[in-house]
Amino acid sequence: MNDACRIPALLLATWIVAMPAALAQDSERNRYFVQQMIEMAATNNEQGVTGMQRMLEQNPKPAASDPAAARAAFQRGLAFFGQDALDAALEAFQQASRDDPGNADAVNYAGLVYRKMGRFPEAEAALQQALVLEPTRAVAWFQLAQVYGLTNDADRALGALANTYRFAQNQMRAEEILRNIAENEAADTLRNAALETLRLFHLPAEAVIVPPLPANPDGIVPMNSMPNPTRAP
Amino acid sequence: MNVPLFAFRGVELTLALALALALASALPASAGQYETIDYYVQQMIALASANEEAGVLIFREQMENLPRPEPGDARQASPFIQHGQERLASGQPKEALAAFRQAFIADPADPEIAGALGLTYLRSRRFKEAERLLVYALSLAPTRSASWLVLGQVYGQQGDAHRATGAFVNALRFAQDQPRVTEQLRQLATADPADAVRIGALQALQLARPAPAAKPVLPASPPPPQSTAPVRSKDGSSRAPEQTALPATTAGGLLGSLKQGGDLLGSLKQGLALLAKPADSATAEPVASPAADNGNPGQRIYRRGMPLTCLIVTFQNGKTANLGSGLLVSKDGLVITNNHVIDRAENLAVRCGDRESVARIRKRSKEPDLALLATTLKSKESFILNQTYSQDLIGLDVFVIGNPYGLESTFSTGVISGLREIDGVRYIQISAPISPGNSGGPVILRDGTVIGVATMGLKVGQNLNFAIAAADVIASPIFAPKQMQVRSMSTP
Repeated sequence: MNDACRIPALLLATWIVAMPAALAQDSERNRYFVQQMIEMAATNNEQGVTGMQRMLEQNPKPAASDPAAARAAFQRGLAFFGQDALDAALEAFQQASRDDPGNADAVNYAGLVYRKMGRFPEAEAALQQALVLEPTRAVAWFQLAQVYGLTNDADRALGALANTYRFAQNQMRAEEILRNIAENEAADTLRNAALETLRLFHLPAEAVIVPPLPANPDGIVPMNSMPNPTRAP
Repeated sequence: MNVPLFAFRGVELTLALALALALASALPASAGQYETIDYYVQQMIALASANEEAGVLIFREQMENLPRPEPGDARQASPFIQHGQERLASGQPKEALAAFRQAFIADPADPEIAGALGLTYLRSRRFKEAERLLVYALSLAPTRSASWLVLGQVYGQQGDAHRATGAFVNALRFAQDQPRVTEQLRQLATADPADAVRIGALQALQLARPAPAAKPVLPASPPPPQSTAPVRSKDGSSRAPEQTALPATTAGGLLGSLKQGGDLLGSLKQGLALLAKPADSATAEPVASPAADNGNPGQRIYRRGMPLTCLIVTFQNGKTANLGSGLLVSKDGLVITNNHVIDRAENLAVRCGDRESVARIRKRSKEPDLALLATTLKSKESFILNQTYSQDLIGLDVFVIGNPYGLESTFSTGVISGLREIDGVRYIQISAPISPGNSGGPVILRDGTVIGVATMGLKVGQNLNFAIAAADVIASPIFAPKQMQVRSMSTP
């Protein structure tokens, strides 16, 4: 972005920030900043994204009430998660988050578990909270993008993927992940968002002609989980 | 560029080297991760093609001082690497790409994986991606000769002989096994189909050509006088004085080099005679596998029919709307399917075998339920429609290929159970299982001809399925007599 564009973009960002900040509660205001980061990322407004990021980073970090208990609960959550025991994992991650509200890892994992459970509104809220705590957390942006992609929210999937790339520690790896999604993801919204993200950053991208098909169509279940066969009349 | 700027203590500081020193710290502050490493790689290429070794080494050092990415999970990457290598060796770049990509995502700090992914992109003719991966691989290991060699090919394939030369020179410079890389460059210089690859490889060989003293000397000859010994260049390598000028990166330059390079002339002529464009996977025509005719009719029919059987995907509002099957029926890419498959489609895509195309509707009819699609899939082979419709068909074996529920190229068998006429359309009743997604696919006889187009089934009962008789396809408005082939049932 050239200098001529930067100043109006910053003014706009400041105005957008100031308006709701006066009206909304802290948590709502923070979520609003995350949403703004998504919207601005989708239009490659780097200055705007950085402005929102700075606003979030100025928040004081919540103090841990019981850091040792939080660490123990988080480790329990990881163990349950590794065993695919999602309910138990969720409970442990929530406990970790209650004991240490500033623990972005715990709330991020809670978001991941919600996404795996298909509970997308809760997943979105948890991942947004992780980003309020750590706005440059690329993995949370990536998971949030998947939530939006799977709920057919194309614009926000694009913005969240753009932030995934922007904040990735290794951008070449992120680029290849985006290419992988753009070529192999069966969910149209997510696939198209990945392609748009590559284009947004002027990265080489190849649109697929025939979209990938789901590896397992709906309805394929193990034989032993099927209902008992009925005798033909 | 090779003009000495000044000299002191026996070291000539050339203009290029001075520039290299100045530029080594001149990277724009706002450069991103890739832009930074690309800047250094491009400088190494430019200096290599000017044979400025000292400058190359300065930038190499700069690259080696860049922060390393965090190590990945080598154990997780390992099976993907092996799978990718196997697929690449067996000429399956698409599968190799998927495998190396997974390996790279698992361990992005391994230069071998990044290089292999770059090579696979090159084989897939995706040059921009190949360049990015190879530049990245070089940032991890700036002296990895194999990455320079492939990067040179990437530039050559894009017609950039100058950068190909620089990359090839670096491949030679950093090679641990110089004779092997020299031979690889010789192969590229003589046999690569891309002009700029040949020119780049030849120029690199010319730049690195050993000095006369390195050639075998006759035992009877006296040792050469000191004054005729090859000059020791500032980079320490031996080089004949007349070879300091870089040949022009044009066909004229190539011819000029040919005149000089006597040992290369023969092999270059040989290579030029062998030149052939590589097969492009997007336009390659389906060819029956050599193992196709092995006596098992099912396998023979599947292997011949699979590349001619198509997956049809329809789109509405930019999203996948419906899936079905189709059959390639002409050498110029006409595909038959059911009308209900493409109903309400805004856009269409077709994959026949491993080839893909967008498609447009050329003709359609509600009764019979048929549509004709035009694609870009030119083919030497196509399905032949069998116009027979008689009681003699009942009891014959049939074979069905299609994409039920998106399970691509599913093969099923059965027999012709009966002939039915429903609402004035003639159907072949078959016992071969079909499901949603099979619609529009071929029902094939043992002789490989298509006797029907799979269309519908009875929900009650078992294996009561129906295909529009090929005879009615031929009688329908979608039939194109000049392009489609027709046959009657072979005499048993």
